[in-house]
Amino acid sequence: MKPVYLVEGKRTPQVKSGADLAEVAAPYLAHYLIRHIVDKFGLPKDQIDEVIIGNTGTPAKYPNVGRVIALEAGLDKKTSGYTVHRNCASGMEALSQGFDKIVSGRSHMIFAGGAESMSQMPLLFNKQMTAFFIDLMKAKTPVQKLSIMSRFRPEFLKPIIAIEQGLTDPFCGRNMGQTAETLARELGISRLQQDEFANRSHHRATAATAEGRFASEILAITAGKKLDRVIKDDIGPRGNSTVEGLAKMKPYFEKVTGTVTVGNACPITDGGSVWLMCSEEAVKKYNLNPMARMVDYHFHGLEPERMGLGPVMATHGVLKRTGMRLDQMDLIELNEAFAAQVLGCEKVMRDKTLASRWGINEVIGEIDHEKLNVNGGAIALGHPVGSTGSRLVVTLAHELKRRKKQFGLATLCIGGGQGGAVVIENLQK
Amino acid sequence: MQLESLTFEIKNTIALVGFGKYEKKSMTTLSADTLLELKHVVEQIAAKEKSKEVKGVLFFSHKPGVFLAGVDVSLINSLKTEADAARGAEQGQMIYNMIEDLKSATAAVVDGICLGGGLELSLSCKRIYVSDNPKTALGLPEVMLGVLPGFGGTYRLPKRIGLPNALDMILTGRQVKSKAAIKNGLATAMLPTERMMELAMDLILKPVPKKNEGFSKTLENVAMDNFLTRKIIFQKAREKVLSQSKGFYPAPLKILEVLEAGSSKGRDAYLAMEAQAFGELSQTTVSRNLQHIFFLTDNSKKLEGKEELPAIERGAVLGAGVMGGGIAWLFAQNNQAPIMKDINQAGLELGLKQASQNFSSALKKKRMSEDDFNRKMRSITPTTSFDGFMGVDLVVEAVVENMQVKKKIFSELEEMVKPDCLITTNTSSLSVTEMSQALKDSSRFAGLHFFNPVNKMPLVEIIAHPKASKKTLDTLYKWALDVKKTPVIVNDGPGFLVNRILAPYLNEAAYLLESGISIKDIDQAALNFGMPMGPCRLMDEVGLDVCEKVGKIMQEGLGSRALASGLSHKLTESGALGKKNAKGFYLYDEKGQSTGVNPVVESLLPSTSTTIDELQLQLRLFLPMINEAAYCLMDKIVTKASVVDIAMIYGIGFPPFKGGLLTYADSEGLERVTAIMQQFASEVSAERYTPAPLLMELMQKKSTFYSL
Repeated sequence: MKPVYLVEGKRTPQVKSGADLAEVAAPYLAHYLIRHIVDKFGLPKDQIDEVIIGNTGTPAKYPNVGRVIALEAGLDKKTSGYTVHRNCASGMEALSQGFDKIVSGRSHMIFAGGAESMSQMPLLFNKQMTAFFIDLMKAKTPVQKLSIMSRFRPEFLKPIIAIEQGLTDPFCGRNMGQTAETLARELGISRLQQDEFANRSHHRATAATAEGRFASEILAITAGKKLDRVIKDDIGPRGNSTVEGLAKMKPYFEKVTGTVTVGNACPITDGGSVWLMCSEEAVKKYNLNPMARMVDYHFHGLEPERMGLGPVMATHGVLKRTGMRLDQMDLIELNEAFAAQVLGCEKVMRDKTLASRWGINEVIGEIDHEKLNVNGGAIALGHPVGSTGSRLVVTLAHELKRRKKQFGLATLCIGGGQGGAVVIENLQK
Repeated sequence: MQLESLTFEIKNTIALVGFGKYEKKSMTTLSADTLLELKHVVEQIAAKEKSKEVKGVLFFSHKPGVFLAGVDVSLINSLKTEADAARGAEQGQMIYNMIEDLKSATAAVVDGICLGGGLELSLSCKRIYVSDNPKTALGLPEVMLGVLPGFGGTYRLPKRIGLPNALDMILTGRQVKSKAAIKNGLATAMLPTERMMELAMDLILKPVPKKNEGFSKTLENVAMDNFLTRKIIFQKAREKVLSQSKGFYPAPLKILEVLEAGSSKGRDAYLAMEAQAFGELSQTTVSRNLQHIFFLTDNSKKLEGKEELPAIERGAVLGAGVMGGGIAWLFAQNNQAPIMKDINQAGLELGLKQASQNFSSALKKKRMSEDDFNRKMRSITPTTSFDGFMGVDLVVEAVVENMQVKKKIFSELEEMVKPDCLITTNTSSLSVTEMSQALKDSSRFAGLHFFNPVNKMPLVEIIAHPKASKKTLDTLYKWALDVKKTPVIVNDGPGFLVNRILAPYLNEAAYLLESGISIKDIDQAALNFGMPMGPCRLMDEVGLDVCEKVGKIMQEGLGSRALASGLSHKLTESGALGKKNAKGFYLYDEKGQSTGVNPVVESLLPSTSTTIDELQLQLRLFLPMINEAAYCLMDKIVTKASVVDIAMIYGIGFPPFKGGLLTYADSEGLERVTAIMQQFASEVSAERYTPAPLLMELMQKKSTFYSL
């Protein structure tokens, strides 16, 4: 296998949907990151082989947002671009495809990442309304038209909310929050444990922002209706969060018996992230000093109703592939879709009996909380679905560099019942 | 007759008349020879019509992107009497009448620029086919040269597109693109550029498909035929023209006169009137001056040997204030995706705000789409680091006016950019030569002085210094043209060229105020001279604190003739900084509109008011400018009077109808200029009014600035 270098990774500030980045369409959550990286290293714009972008809420205007981003970034027209969709891991899928292309020697320079404007996810007309429109268009005479018009009923206007549908599993019919409730129940994770975990995420994230630890990974973005504002920090983490405050929130998905609240789940968020991935030849040719090496990746499926445990199988898989152990990881980014799901993963990883239910007949290892999500996670920073997979790797690489540590693991659960994991090695110690 | 500028052939009963085949210049214009050949060709077509050899006629251009840019301005310029000019117009009219009278189907096949005499020719054809080339634009810009379209344009355009639309085009010189030309009825059909001739040859022998005009259009036509409606339209147009031209420009009024008086006349009577009006206008001083500026501007766009220079693809701005944001806008507007660096977020937002504001009017008028706005605004990278500067070709520094700060920035910047990146400063008052010493390679360094607001002021001063390379200056010159600015290359010196000449004017206004002349009288005198705003108003725009600072620099650099009046210091101390804090000579509301004279300032001025004759006032204000311009020529800031004129017109809006500052001086006569100056020297101030040695020398030789 040829080595795959992660030369530079950048991300946007992540902002709760409907807020400061609501006006920013998906292409503009990534194009400027690419332009910045190209500028920074003075790369020739016609030497980028591919732009691969993870995106799930396909904007109607930009069906292939990856190609749009390549063009908007000012890359040469000949650079091809495409969009990948693996739900919550779309950004990681983009990295994995970049990895395969470089490992095999097909490509030398690839931009891979993700972009998601959850603020701009579409509302769709429902089936009845669509049928109504089609009939109306087919009608030829005014009489026919009138007769069809008379069939209109107000309920035709009830929209399909894409984001709501997207967060419900089509196979098991449960929404993501309900799958977290399942894990909390089956694995015995209490409301207090979840709230404590969520609270820590907020405090870690606000501390990281205050101490400037995100400064090297975030690239300020232009925002506002008139595009005259600059956003440079994440908007979402709450420094004033308390366990008591979180405890007051009502369960959202199972109103009476549940433990999962809006407070201990990740918010819906806008954001983007991008990596410049290079082959050894490209690194030498352009005299680059890569941040990290992408060691390998792994994706794994499980039952959709327990999708939150995806990181367990994915981590197990990537460690097998790399021949490494969990304790070799100096830092771990495990996406915080739900506190219950992160705590559930920890539990299964250290318990052979539990793990054996998914065919893993060994203890994967103990996750040290001093290594896990050290700058907070999605509960505070948010989860722009298409981007998170690569955003985790961006945050991981920058923190490994800052701490001068060697190996890191980024892993996440994937709606639909999958997990994804990537191992990287810091090269700037 | 041997054709030397036209091509002519007949293919399948279609006569093809081609322009521009032998034209070496980038724009094809109608010369006297072309017109003669055209007459000859049209006569042949008329003859062949009778024998049924010709059934259709197409006028087209061999040059992609240019149909005809109008009658050669030097041809207009060569007509030296009203009668000559009128006769010239009549000759053109006669040829165009012949085209109009052809029995065959006639069409102009327009791809690209189609202006003045080019559009008038097209109007003589029964049809106009336009290409879908975005460059295609049709217009009658004669008014901008102080004349009117003299080849039947004022006669035929209203017939084709209706009176209101025609008035708009003829009075403003506005050009319309293909889509708009179809919409307003000027063009018959829009054709794909590549297949244009092929399609036109097919279409010309077929009838034009009838357009189904909507009810409102019919109503409009009925209304237009009404005597009263026409009267109201002309009345409104006249009011608008007077308020916009302030009575300085005779052409628009004359155009209205011809159109109104001619509306009841037949073709021959109308055209005779048009020709006569053309003759009269062409000999006015205003038209002569406007033609003069046309030639100066045209010349300044020539790039002999500069075509091969490296293109600037990416820009960067240091310092994101009002100027920095404006310059970032200029890069973004021209697809040069700039990086804008400042020390903090607040600074960056100020710059983005400025850029956004500059785009907003185009956005409002729908000359720019939301998508384009998004794309161009987002092409500006706001940043606090030097990351990415390796990719840029030109950096413009626009940080605070402090020599030490700037020098520090340049020595730092030099390490952050590639070796052939041009480095420039937008300083308006500091020495570019001294600044250049901060760089290891100062050959790639120059001043690049923009005027505020960047989106509205066309001038850019490129400031040379002893070590600046010719390539650097030429590349900047070419870039400035590319981004649609008017560049002048000047040498380093206090205030460079424009501010140095402007300073004595503002300074003199201050002395006049101190002598008891009112703010209103002074500003009104300047307005009546033709300036876009009076000196007090201008000082408010510039900022009184800046005026004070610049005054000091001029005084230090130029000595006693630039001795600054103490007024701006007094005003700044009183808290009046100009428009920026809504308090200057005038008070301003939130929208920046003046609400009247600032009483605080009035109380600081002498209570006894004096009045002097307006002409005297104007001379007091403008003679010191002429004098300083003479010093600039002596000091080799620039070497040509024409550069001074261009700079003053495009830099501060010196009235174009006066032909520029030194054209004005020459036309007043240097003898008179020096005599009045000497009078002022004894009555007002010897320091400020003693004529410059060059001025005296030219006067004694009975010479002019333009003879230099």
